[in-house]
Amino acid sequence: MNGKLLTVILLSLMLLAAVFQNRYDSTSNYFGDRNTFVSLPTGKALRILSFGYQNLTADLLFIWSIQFYSTYYLTNRFDFLERVFNTITDISPRYKEPYIIGALIMAFEAKDIPMALRLLDKGSRSIEKEWFFDHEAGYYCYKYLKDYPQAEAYYARASLKPSAPSFLKRMKAHMVYLQDDPQVAYQMWLDIYEHARDRLEKDAGFNHLYQIKAEIDLPFLQQKIALFRENFRRFPSFLAELVRPGIATAIPRDFSGNDYQYDPRNGSLKALRVFNWKQR
Amino acid sequence: MKTLEITNLKKSFRSNFLIRKYHILKGIDISVEQGEIYGFLGPNGAGKTTTIKCIMGLIFPDEGEILINGQPSRSIIARQQIGFLPENPYFYDYLSASELLHFSASLFAFPAAYARERIDLLIKLVGLEGHEHLKLRKFSKGMIQRLGMAQALIQDPVCLILDEPFSGLDPIGRKEFRDLILALKSQGKTIFFSSHILQDMEMMVDKVGIIINGRISRQGQLSEMIASSTQYHEIVCSRINEKQLALINPNFISRDNQFIITLDNEVDINLVVESIIHNSGLIIAVNSVKKTLEDIFLNEMKEVQ
Amino acid sequence: MKMNIKGLVFNTFKESARNKMFYLLVFFGIIFALSSKLISFLTLGDTMKVLKDTGLAAINFFCVLIAIFTGINLVYKEIEKKTIYNILSKPVTRDHFIIGKFLGLALTMLVALSAMSGIFFFLVLLVGGGFDFKILLYFLMLYLELLIIMAISLLFSSFSTPILSFIFTVSLYLIGHIMWTFNEFKMLLHSQLWVKFTHALYYILPNLDKFNIKNEVVLDLPLRIGAILFSILYALVYILALLTVTILIFRKREFQ
Repeated sequence: MNGKLLTVILLSLMLLAAVFQNRYDSTSNYFGDRNTFVSLPTGKALRILSFGYQNLTADLLFIWSIQFYSTYYLTNRFDFLERVFNTITDISPRYKEPYIIGALIMAFEAKDIPMALRLLDKGSRSIEKEWFFDHEAGYYCYKYLKDYPQAEAYYARASLKPSAPSFLKRMKAHMVYLQDDPQVAYQMWLDIYEHARDRLEKDAGFNHLYQIKAEIDLPFLQQKIALFRENFRRFPSFLAELVRPGIATAIPRDFSGNDYQYDPRNGSLKALRVFNWKQR
Repeated sequence: MKTLEITNLKKSFRSNFLIRKYHILKGIDISVEQGEIYGFLGPNGAGKTTTIKCIMGLIFPDEGEILINGQPSRSIIARQQIGFLPENPYFYDYLSASELLHFSASLFAFPAAYARERIDLLIKLVGLEGHEHLKLRKFSKGMIQRLGMAQALIQDPVCLILDEPFSGLDPIGRKEFRDLILALKSQGKTIFFSSHILQDMEMMVDKVGIIINGRISRQGQLSEMIASSTQYHEIVCSRINEKQLALINPNFISRDNQFIITLDNEVDINLVVESIIHNSGLIIAVNSVKKTLEDIFLNEMKEVQ
Repeated sequence: MKMNIKGLVFNTFKESARNKMFYLLVFFGIIFALSSKLISFLTLGDTMKVLKDTGLAAINFFCVLIAIFTGINLVYKEIEKKTIYNILSKPVTRDHFIIGKFLGLALTMLVALSAMSGIFFFLVLLVGGGFDFKILLYFLMLYLELLIIMAISLLFSSFSTPILSFIFTVSLYLIGHIMWTFNEFKMLLHSQLWVKFTHALYYILPNLDKFNIKNEVVLDLPLRIGAILFSILYALVYILALLTVTILIFRKREFQ
């Protein structure tokens, strides 16, 4: 048999093999028959099995997990989510990304915030100097759980870490503010404002203080105006009129030092600048 | 028809990095008649083994043609007619001599009875009786060589190709092997063998081809090569006065009370002998000294360089 | 023409069978198959499952080792020790040589696998199980897989050294068992060219996991007859293709 004929035979054999492969594949429901997981050893076992290549093992498992969890047709892919990331972070505890990406997958793909928080807590314990985990956890509490005390606690912890950026303190103050505790929030913001190291921080502090002060002052003044109207059957002509009958001892001003804008015709009262931060 | 005919055989190898091309055979022409012993002579590295591997189809020539009884050497028909003994042969050492020969026979698909008969015969022919069932790892070099000959003869080929059959054998082994080859020749087999050992060749070959640097520099019947090349004649005599001898022919040397006279010309022999007898000297011998194969070979080497 | 291959086949078998490595691997395969009895003591509940799991795994593992080692060594040794000169100088073509070697390997493997599986069946009977036709089918599928592995190692050993052949064969064996990931991998690729390339690889590389019906056998799941049929056809055609490539390469090979 000459070489050319043999090559033709080879090609037809390969083609036939491909056909049989194809027929074989068609005998099974590819996506339906797939088990996502058979088993995954514990982190400790894998650490032993990796024979010194822990980082590589963690990398591979991490890369695999990213691929796996973005395979959208596998609807049961989250069954072992926490186990997978616990394993990765057990093998290589000081590897930062798996905590963050894992938490992202847990929060946004699997929609399980408490699971994400557990992973971030573990990260915070493993890499003590890192502020990002607590920040991330605080953000999940704030934005998705609307658990402001918990968020405040996370931001408080994050802001104490070395090299924590200044906005963490502001977030903490904001969380206090969102817990409807304006007095404490005001003190916190005042502290931030007075110790501000840059223009941005100063401005942010100013805006928040202005808002909180307005939120404290306006109900106070409105209450006094109502009292005045009850006594005199009319609105005060101007705010200072509240002092004379002893209804108020002093008239508060907004944080910039200006008077609040008062309309004697209908007794309405508002601050010069209006924010809407309580929108949740 | 020639039993083996090689025309314009060329072969080159590339070095490891495919950069340089080494031309090993630069156009070889060889022809071997039926029943001849052909000696393929050449220094190491001249291309003897390369030529033989081309004949056996172990490597492929770049150019040229190799015919065995008119058939291309790589054809099955040609292969059935040649027996091959490689240089320093090696056989499966987990087999015994008889097992190896049975394996060789199986490659020809002989009937079992015929194979058994043939193997018994060959074992006797190469002188391995009593060792048939010994494992080959216990064989000596000479025994392996003889077994190699037996497996080359398994199908009773018309032509034998032997690559350096005498290398590594002791003097007795060489003598035995030489006798074996001559016996095969007397059975009418054509034998082509390569060697760089001149004495072995001189004693048995009919035809010689000298390969130097990938080219056949000389080819012909050994008898013709030697006959056409008588170098000189010598006359050995004694009982003669040195002075008298000097007058007859001054070209002599003395050794043990004998004188050896050297003559370039045949015509002078009678005259000199007569003169010695006339001077009451004793003629002991008159010899024609011919060129040996060694002289021819060295001469060829010198010419090429 | 057919007759003269027989000698090659039986000699190949004889050579493998007189190799210490071969005996060692068969021995270990049997030891591990037997020790599955010990491991099954450690489990609770269905001991037969654990016995079958470990026994079949041990036989599988050692048979693969035998297939790779004998496959990569045979032709290489023949060339290295120049014994091939004595064969190719006879009226044996290089095609015959490769076919003879492969059939010899197949015979060797058949004997080794029969020995191991015989002992395994005996063990199952001893523990109180019956003869299971599915296990026999498993051994048949394993044999087909082993034939493919041997054809692969024969292919590599026809042109490279044992170390390289070993690495190539083991790599192909491992890849052959994760071919199903290619379909997932393809979905992650954005370039059409790469998708086509992956697609081509999927059909060119050996797809070995289809011969692995351990789960179906041990857990007594229903067998897909169509799948088994196509696996068998695939194996036969793929082996022929591998042998054809080997022959094409080997025809060009020079023995210097």
